Amino acid sequence: MATTRLHRNEQINGWAFVMPALVLLGIFMIYPILWSLWMSFQVGRGNNFSFGGLANIQRLANDALLVHALSNTIIFFIIQVPIMIVLALLFAVALNDATLRFRGVFRTLLFLPCVTSLIAYSSLFKSMFSNDGIINQTLVSLHLIGAPIPWLTDPFWAKMVIITAITWRWTGYNMIFYLAALQNIDKSIYEAARIDGVPAWARFWNLTVPMLKPVILFTTILSTIGTLQLFDEVNNITQGGPGNGTMTLSLYIYNLTFRMMPSFGYSALVSWVIVAIVAVLSIVQFVIARDRRRAS
Amino acid sequence: MSSLSLKGIRKSYGSLDVIKGVDLDIKAKEFVVFVGPSGCGKSTLLRMIAGLEPITGGDLNIGGKRMNDVDPSRRGIAMVFQTYALYPHMTVRENMGFALRFAGVAKDQIAKQVNEAARILALEPLLDRLPKELSGGQRQRVAIGRAIVRHPDVFLFDEPLSNLDAELRVHMRIEIARLHRELQATMIYVTHDQVEAMTLADTIVVLRDGRIEQVGRPLELYDNPANQFVAGFIGSPKMNFLSAEIVEKIGASVTIELVKHPGTRLTLPVTGGAVGEKVTLGVRAEHFGLPGKGSVDVTLHVDAAEHLGSTSYVYANSGGELVVIEHEESRHTNGNDRITVSISADKAYLFDSAGQRLR
Amino acid sequence: MNMALLRRSATYVLLSLAAFISVFPFIWMALGATNKSNDIVTGRLSLGSNLLVNFQNLLAQVDLVRVFGNSFLIAIISTLLTLAVSSLAGYGFEIFRSRVRERVFQLLLLFLSIPFAALMVPLFVLISRAQLNNTFIAVILPTIASIFIIFYFRQATKAFPGDLRDAARVDGLKEWQIFLFVYLPTMRSTYAAATIIVFMGAWNNYLWPLIVLQTPENKTITLVISALTAAYTPDYGVILLATVLATLPTLIIFFVLQRQFVQGMLGAVK
Repeated sequence: MATTRLHRNEQINGWAFVMPALVLLGIFMIYPILWSLWMSFQVGRGNNFSFGGLANIQRLANDALLVHALSNTIIFFIIQVPIMIVLALLFAVALNDATLRFRGVFRTLLFLPCVTSLIAYSSLFKSMFSNDGIINQTLVSLHLIGAPIPWLTDPFWAKMVIITAITWRWTGYNMIFYLAALQNIDKSIYEAARIDGVPAWARFWNLTVPMLKPVILFTTILSTIGTLQLFDEVNNITQGGPGNGTMTLSLYIYNLTFRMMPSFGYSALVSWVIVAIVAVLSIVQFVIARDRRRAS
Repeated sequence: MSSLSLKGIRKSYGSLDVIKGVDLDIKAKEFVVFVGPSGCGKSTLLRMIAGLEPITGGDLNIGGKRMNDVDPSRRGIAMVFQTYALYPHMTVRENMGFALRFAGVAKDQIAKQVNEAARILALEPLLDRLPKELSGGQRQRVAIGRAIVRHPDVFLFDEPLSNLDAELRVHMRIEIARLHRELQATMIYVTHDQVEAMTLADTIVVLRDGRIEQVGRPLELYDNPANQFVAGFIGSPKMNFLSAEIVEKIGASVTIELVKHPGTRLTLPVTGGAVGEKVTLGVRAEHFGLPGKGSVDVTLHVDAAEHLGSTSYVYANSGGELVVIEHEESRHTNGNDRITVSISADKAYLFDSAGQRLR
Repeated sequence: MNMALLRRSATYVLLSLAAFISVFPFIWMALGATNKSNDIVTGRLSLGSNLLVNFQNLLAQVDLVRVFGNSFLIAIISTLLTLAVSSLAGYGFEIFRSRVRERVFQLLLLFLSIPFAALMVPLFVLISRAQLNNTFIAVILPTIASIFIIFYFRQATKAFPGDLRDAARVDGLKEWQIFLFVYLPTMRSTYAAATIIVFMGAWNNYLWPLIVLQTPENKTITLVISALTAAYTPDYGVILLATVLATLPTLIIFFVLQRQFVQGMLGAVK
């Protein structure tokens, strides 16, 4: 096929528009990824390193702290993400009802937590959940609990605080995605279902959820990445404690690199562990989504 | 006011051929309509003339110059889009003057040309409005105005009326016809609506599947279609097609028998064809006559009748083949009746099994 | 009928409860800024009289003008550059289709799920070698080409009418002029939503500035709040006052651009 000038112009423009982004991504994303792959085989402290063969991998196999960080991250992920997504869906469906009064006000209020910085809200939660803090005081005065809960000094309760905090910060954010997707759904589908006598819960499960599935999948992946990135909250509310009870992968890598004896090679390898986990999780999520589609 | 010539124009996306060799000459000041079913390539052909789609092969000449590789804005064309494509953030005035701004035309000259175009289309009161404040018909007029402002040699219209309601469509059709007379410009107009094609065109180009089926004046195409496709596409109601078989062939005439009406035979002056060949008889709705007044009579069952006042259409059924009849007695026919009509050999068409015209 | 009324009431009660939980920390923050640290950790929930003292204490520890100046400078430059580079790319990927670029785009989507933690070590070494440590450039540069924002703009560009670009081409505009004079103005709500997302991200960014910005005169407000919180005996009055100040800019931007934000999100999710 002869390449016409018009065709060539399209090609030149196509590359010109995406080139600045591609160059930057090449330098600040692709190069670091490749570099850290090479780094994974280096041992040594700070900027002095040498080839260590499989030494890092051996260290990885015996790293109890890594297992701890990994299991914490998984716990956060398994408990927090579903709760948040279900809440966000329910809020979105409730707010999508045109006959609901004050929907604009509710929408704004529920989205409001997203404007806070992770650090700012972490500080708020740390102060609210202190031992004699407002949360414990309220619960005690309502006779819901007998004695104050050791929110920040017990590994279990510390995890609960982190989960509560993340849910508070991100539910409204996910809700906006669902709300936007819901408004693109043709209202007459619901009217037809009501005329056919489909009850409300079935309209939610058999109409809304399947139609929102692409968005749900998208937000689930974003949340998964978010959980693996978890750093700001744990670093500020609990510093990963107590007793590494809220240690996360990101915080562990940060500690490996900048707090403990700096070991770039080993932290690069741990970074690759995260990449591998993300890859596996993404594949799993896509497969689940596809199987559901086939089943229905 | 340029003439155009297309020689062996082809377009393919990878291995998919969309336009398969189009040869066409368009005279200056001519109003040409590309018509065909959706997917026939008529819009693609127009966009290739505009320079919006690269041309895979062949030569495109506008005003005697080869334009295959020339930028759209330098081809001397202006285009009116189906969706109007008005810049939503600009007023009508800015929309109309936008092209001139980028052509480096002086401000007062732009104002003059915009006002002139606004006068022609009676857009003066709307000049400072935004597109979202206009009705569909007004937007369409602005889109046409934007084309006029540039004083193009060739106007290209891509289904400009298909987003309007029926009444407005008739109105805009007359408006566009008037503009063509006033501006004396070459216009190429794409539509899938054969009524628009019949009413507007000097010349109709019927396209199917990336090829030209026939080129001609509207009534030429109606009276003398080159093949079954054109015969079925041009005209409303559509031409009726009845399956038949050649049963006898003597010299320059053949006798056919209708498949659904054994015994009903008709002799036509046709040189081609062979005995036993499957053919299709074509009869226009208004060419059915009263019983006994034609060459042969057929009796059909009436499914429904539409009485429009000025005329009536009878929808009859000939063993599964739908037949539309419009004649003097249509007015008195109703659903479930039986109707007997005559077919005249001199007004009937005959097509072979490949759809080519035998008569 | 009764059932419907009951369900409707339940909806209002639950939404009100959720709204209260959403807003309560803001109230807590605002009230806390006026209280003594001791009152805050013991859960005092009323207007105090310590606002001025907290403010003086904050000023004594932090060069507020400098810190806010740093945060604004970084956030504004980041936002402008990110919007420019990423919207160009999103537009380019959607408008100019080719098989190679489609592959490149799919590759980028794959990279979308790589967490920052996996990049920070090599990035830090890269920045150190380039001698950009402790500079704003180091904070800004790696964030400009955001795959998420590129993806967002590509999605939104699907709603940009192709006829509009064709009309502009017939009108004689070059591709960059079409982007600048037709695409940009028609996609204002998309840009508004992206502005909110990117500005908040840049303003609130913590981990990367924490790594690259070492000296006090380069710290941003998030770093300062974090440092105040990590103190051995944190002064919560001061901390909550600082969080109020840090939250105000994003809060204001959100309320100003709220309508366009919702519209922009609508376009992107389609």
